[in-house]
Amino acid sequence: MSPGGGAESVARLKRVIAEIEAEAGPARERAARRLPVARAFDSALGGGLADDALHEIAPAQAQDGAAAMGFALALAARFLVRRPASALLVSEGFAAEELGALYGPGLVAHGAPLSRLVFVRAPDAALAFWAMEEALKCGAPAAVVGEIWNLKGYGLAASRRLLLAARKGKVPALLILASAYGQAGRLSSAAETRFEIAAAPSARIPAAAGLDLPGPFACGARLVKARLAGAVDDRARAPKGVFKDARLTTGYGARLEMVDDRDRQARLEAHDPERVIRLEWRSQDLAFQDRTFNDITFKDTGLDDQAISLPLAAAAGDRPRAAASRR
Amino acid sequence: MSIGLSLPDARARFPFLVVVEAEPEEEARLLERLCDWCSRFTPLAALDCADGLMLDISGVAHLFGGEAALIEDCRARLASQGITVAAGAAGNPRAAWALARFSRVKIAPEPMSDKAFARLFHDMPLAALGLDEQTAADMARAGLRRIGDIALRPRAPITARFGALPMTRLDALKGLERSSIKPRFPPPDFCAERRFASPIQTTQAIEASLRKLADDLVALLERQAKGARRIELALYRVDGRVRRILVGASRPLNEARAIVRLFTEKLAGPDEDAIDAGYGVDLMRLACLSAEPLAPSQSLLERAHEAERAHALAELLDRLSARLGTRAVMRRELIEAHLPEEAETAAPAVLKPDAIGFTRGMARRASSPTRAALARARAQALVGEDRGGGSRRPMRLGSGDACDKFRGLRDPPPLPAPTRGGGCANVIEAAEMQARLRGESRHCEERSDEAIQESGALAPGLLRFARNDGSNGAPARPLRLFARPEPIEAMAEVPDGPPLRFRWRRVLHDVAAIEGPERIAAPWWRSAGAPTRDYFSAEDTQGRRFWLYREGLLGRETARAKWFVHGLFG
Repeated sequence: MSPGGGAESVARLKRVIAEIEAEAGPARERAARRLPVARAFDSALGGGLADDALHEIAPAQAQDGAAAMGFALALAARFLVRRPASALLVSEGFAAEELGALYGPGLVAHGAPLSRLVFVRAPDAALAFWAMEEALKCGAPAAVVGEIWNLKGYGLAASRRLLLAARKGKVPALLILASAYGQAGRLSSAAETRFEIAAAPSARIPAAAGLDLPGPFACGARLVKARLAGAVDDRARAPKGVFKDARLTTGYGARLEMVDDRDRQARLEAHDPERVIRLEWRSQDLAFQDRTFNDITFKDTGLDDQAISLPLAAAAGDRPRAAASRR
Repeated sequence: MSIGLSLPDARARFPFLVVVEAEPEEEARLLERLCDWCSRFTPLAALDCADGLMLDISGVAHLFGGEAALIEDCRARLASQGITVAAGAAGNPRAAWALARFSRVKIAPEPMSDKAFARLFHDMPLAALGLDEQTAADMARAGLRRIGDIALRPRAPITARFGALPMTRLDALKGLERSSIKPRFPPPDFCAERRFASPIQTTQAIEASLRKLADDLVALLERQAKGARRIELALYRVDGRVRRILVGASRPLNEARAIVRLFTEKLAGPDEDAIDAGYGVDLMRLACLSAEPLAPSQSLLERAHEAERAHALAELLDRLSARLGTRAVMRRELIEAHLPEEAETAAPAVLKPDAIGFTRGMARRASSPTRAALARARAQALVGEDRGGGSRRPMRLGSGDACDKFRGLRDPPPLPAPTRGGGCANVIEAAEMQARLRGESRHCEERSDEAIQESGALAPGLLRFARNDGSNGAPARPLRLFARPEPIEAMAEVPDGPPLRFRWRRVLHDVAAIEGPERIAAPWWRSAGAPTRDYFSAEDTQGRRFWLYREGLLGRETARAKWFVHGLFG
């Protein structure tokens, strides 16, 4: 027997097992886990962001790209805590030029462990989507964050591909649509959720003289779309077989779906997609502190009147269309 | 006709002379190309001076049907490319060199008897030893013209008169001296090749052959329980061109499918040209340039899953790097640098396969040094020591004496990395440490503020830093940094004060909150006279945060302040 005989036969056996697995499918199956984001969103999200789906993040205005990235990285940092793996940050070359490249010391301060990030720079959007899809499919990263500027090729088909890849690999995909500011309500894609992010005044620290000192990162978030709101329970309650039957017997099926719809409607009513939630990122706890703008009483934050109403008021001033869509 | 003859003389002697300009560089390139092509016969092919190639054919000649057949094959193939060759084969490089250039007999018998040596070499001129002209001329003057003349004489007088070189060369010719060649490419550890009786042209055929080659290579690797880290595919075209495609793997590979996929990704990438088979490819070789022993497989069941995932990640990074280029898939690290744009380094992810994050334990161990470095940087920022331009510290807050008391803070014990779900004592310790540092830092700030007011280096009350965001008083760093800082128009209350409003990308921003200045001087030991920068992190009324800086010290370095946006906070 040759010196490598043992290794040879082990390798052969491995290959045989791999072939069997390719036929019969992977041995392990894992249900989607949900990552709580903030109290205000979690009920609408059915407990949190699914870690096997595509989530889109769009800036509210042209200059909110940095805030959108801050929000996405905060989510990625939270996903990183869950799994001891690296996260991939895929960015289209143009986005990095337009908005600035990600900066290591800033990432560390934001709560993202630099040693567990892999930075991928793609020359164009098509390759960036390809890289994201490959990463999602293989299932190895803890999260995949993509930042795409050129959205010409992005639509139902492309987002569906990403969603399916995320399902297959059970990896959350966070996609920043960098150039889709103000269009969050009008996009159509297969993504499970879509957030619209605007910069928000931080909880400033009063200074002895002159202007205040800026506080930690804060943003105004609006959950524009939650496609599978409350779907966790639906999935558990109605297995595939029932739906098959429902399609065959129309009367029963109609009733079943009606009940289902009403149930979902009730849950959706709790969520108002127009409501802007102010999220404050605590990088040392890796957690969001949330408050709706309506909830804030002036006394308990020390913020003055002007600071609170600004994101909405400013939006009205800058972009009449966006303001109209927001009421 | 001889070398050194002038062109008019030569034309006078031979009226129909065809003159071609000499292009030594072009010729050298052609020779290199030929050398690459010759590696189809043996992996050990070397350039020999400016006009020859040296192939080490030990152990390969039988594959071509013997030395004579090999030489004939080589001659015929090169002749079809329009190149005439004189080839010689012998037991050592020097003898082969001499045979190729000075002999009618091209193949030396092996093993060589003294008689055979005398018959082959004794009649050759001394130039066949490769002596320089001066020595050869000196020896000719002494009546030594042929190799036989020195081979049959006692060595000592010749060495005494002409130096050691002639005799050393003679020994090399006899094979008594060990001589080696310098191959153009290092010989691969493992290699598999396929020759085609009729050249293949279609991409499908090439891919199919690649698959088979990968199978062969993996079989070779498995025999030694090794995996390939760098693999090269060489396509030898009929017209003499050789296309080499190199891929790297971040872990030892021993799966044929993975190897093939790396090559297909590489060829689909934007930097790589598609395969151009030309008139056809008649030889494909897949060589493993560096192999490493395979990591022993995980025996513990609970670690198997993580190992599998690490495995999948390494494979993913390889594929991405193959398609997008290794410089497009990077990992980064913090370094303690003076200028903010140099505070991190990036390295291709393929080169750092064991970077952190594969297992929980590893991640924790590896992340603590960076945290420690960060803590140290923070402490240094607090100390704010030093006067004059020679500062190696990131910050100069004012006059040197103010913070003397806090110099002890410079090297605090590193903060333990936050542990989640375990290590309670550590967490408490870290919290205490942070609280202490925060307290100290506030104190230090007050002190330095006072000191500045006293020394009058900056306008009073301008120096302000937030300490609330858990950053232990570290100056804030933005999430995004512009490669080229973008110039802005800024308005300030006092010329060297913080900006009140500024215009960036045609939008006016009113500053609502501001932190700074953090003064960063350019490293004087590299670029003398580069302007100092005062950094501010400014938040406008809508909550957007910018990292601004003013270039140049007013009055001392510049007359008018120039403002830039260097980064954006998320």
